[in-house]
Amino acid sequence: MNNAKFYTADGFTDTLPGICAFKKQTESNLRELFRLHGYKEIETPGIEYLDIYSRPGFVPEESLYKMTDQKGRLLTLRYDGTIPAVRYAAGIKDFDPSSLPLRLCYIENMYRFAGSGGGKQNEFTQAGVELMGAEGADADAEVIALAIKSALGAGIKDLQISIGQVRLYDGIARQLGLDEQTKTEIEKAINSRDTVTIEKTCDRLNITDEGRKLLLMLPDAQGTYDIIEDFEALVKDEEAINALNNVRAILDCLDEQGYLKYVSVDAGLMGGSVDYYTGVIFKGYTYGVGFPIISGGRYDNTVEVFGRRMECVGFSLSLTLVLTALLRQGTSMLEKPVDAIVGYAEGFRQEAYAVVERLRDEGLAAILDTTGMDSDALDEYGRKLGIEQIIYVKEEEN
Amino acid sequence: MLTIALSKGRLAEKAIALLENAGYDCTAAKDESRKLILEDENAGLRFIMAKPADVPTYVEYGAADIGFVGKDTLLEEGRDLYEVADLGFGKCRMCVAGPVDLKDGKLDLIPNKRIATKYPNITRAYFEGVKKESVEIIKLNGSIELAPLIGLADCIVDIVESGRTLKENGLDVIETVADISARVVVNRVSMKMKSSEIKPMIEKIKEQIALL
Repeated sequence: MNNAKFYTADGFTDTLPGICAFKKQTESNLRELFRLHGYKEIETPGIEYLDIYSRPGFVPEESLYKMTDQKGRLLTLRYDGTIPAVRYAAGIKDFDPSSLPLRLCYIENMYRFAGSGGGKQNEFTQAGVELMGAEGADADAEVIALAIKSALGAGIKDLQISIGQVRLYDGIARQLGLDEQTKTEIEKAINSRDTVTIEKTCDRLNITDEGRKLLLMLPDAQGTYDIIEDFEALVKDEEAINALNNVRAILDCLDEQGYLKYVSVDAGLMGGSVDYYTGVIFKGYTYGVGFPIISGGRYDNTVEVFGRRMECVGFSLSLTLVLTALLRQGTSMLEKPVDAIVGYAEGFRQEAYAVVERLRDEGLAAILDTTGMDSDALDEYGRKLGIEQIIYVKEEEN
Repeated sequence: MLTIALSKGRLAEKAIALLENAGYDCTAAKDESRKLILEDENAGLRFIMAKPADVPTYVEYGAADIGFVGKDTLLEEGRDLYEVADLGFGKCRMCVAGPVDLKDGKLDLIPNKRIATKYPNITRAYFEGVKKESVEIIKLNGSIELAPLIGLADCIVDIVESGRTLKENGLDVIETVADISARVVVNRVSMKMKSSEIKPMIEKIKEQIALL
């Protein structure tokens, strides 16, 4: 058995004790935060039928881990939290529309080939919420505010949330009469902030000066209310105007909670590889990692694919990226020694059991020596490991 | 502090000259030593010297905030970046080239052609995506022109500047895949988190490009 593999598979890694403890504590904090906001946690299977993901615009097919079951049916590892939540919500048996909205949350590992969700790790942990069966800016803002609270609660101090609206570009494209192919071409250019391509396309299609100005504003515009006003001066399409009103109403909600300082409007924010967003869309950034730690948006038409109409908005926070960022920003996640070690002289085991249990009742991490160390050896061992309380039981307690 | 990834060689020299003209102190970057990281704390700039093909990787991961790199590398690597400016220099074309008798549509008559290239991703995207045909791609690392001469491949996909190497070997450009020039790329997170440093830099770079 000398050729046994002692290393982890490509794209997978161990979470070491100190970091793991920090991560689990963060997960508990997030779970409590979600509970306090009325979100019910669900666990979905680690493996789903490939079918639920392989729909146009859901996810890039090549990023899915695929396998078959014993009957040859195609399966995939869980790619995200949203689609399984959608599958669940669409299939609830005793569904009562009057009980909506539905608030769901999850903290799970996701599996992707070369995805950026975990900073190129193929397995990473996401915490997220889905607010289902709720329309409007108040719902959008609830989810964005919760995303901000989650990141702050996880210890991120320098947080920047960018908010965009996919309907804004849809409306502008219609206003300018762009055909489908040009629309996609310019969308790609906006997504990569490639103003050169936008200008070339405008030249080629003889787009008016006003239209050119609008298209060039999309990748460039960043701010808050001022941006909305800049667009309102030029936008005539009703859908685009509604999009701007939606963003303004969201900003109002966030302002009332004191979160405006974390937020900026980014008119050029696009869905990228995920194509199901239908309204607001947002990303969260911090120092130390080159990828967004938060990603979310409104997806009103997705549950319908599974047979039930439900307007939804949600976000996910990559815990894996948050931990990377915190480590790079200098947060210490060193493995801590246990609080106490208890040894005992021959014949005093029962007394030692009582001592160590009492320490545990006080909330201290306490271990009982199982190797039979004498008092000196226990002392040396305890000091070496930096254990604060070293107790050697050698006589009856009073 | 902004970290700037440069492609070692001529492109780096031109990028540095452009930044200097834009008012940035690049003394550190002109250090002739073999150091790979050149830092100037006063100027708030740190330069890293990387292989051209690695520049998009450094920038995508955020190890560098900004990169100067050829469009050929960007197309081949397919990284998720902001591509904010076309520097206009380092101009050339990505071409399908082959024996002269394959010109005027004769290339299309060869079924299942074998194509030698340093750029397998660009080649695949072009033939499958644009020309809608299946091809066999042979990855080579240099002197690609040799492949059709020796019978390893029917044609090649490569960068063409003057076309002299092709001509001297009895080959010619058959089709143009893409126009290439040097680009400025920016990490998606840096653009947000360091926008007060990056945005003015991009503006100044664009002003310089307009002057070229």
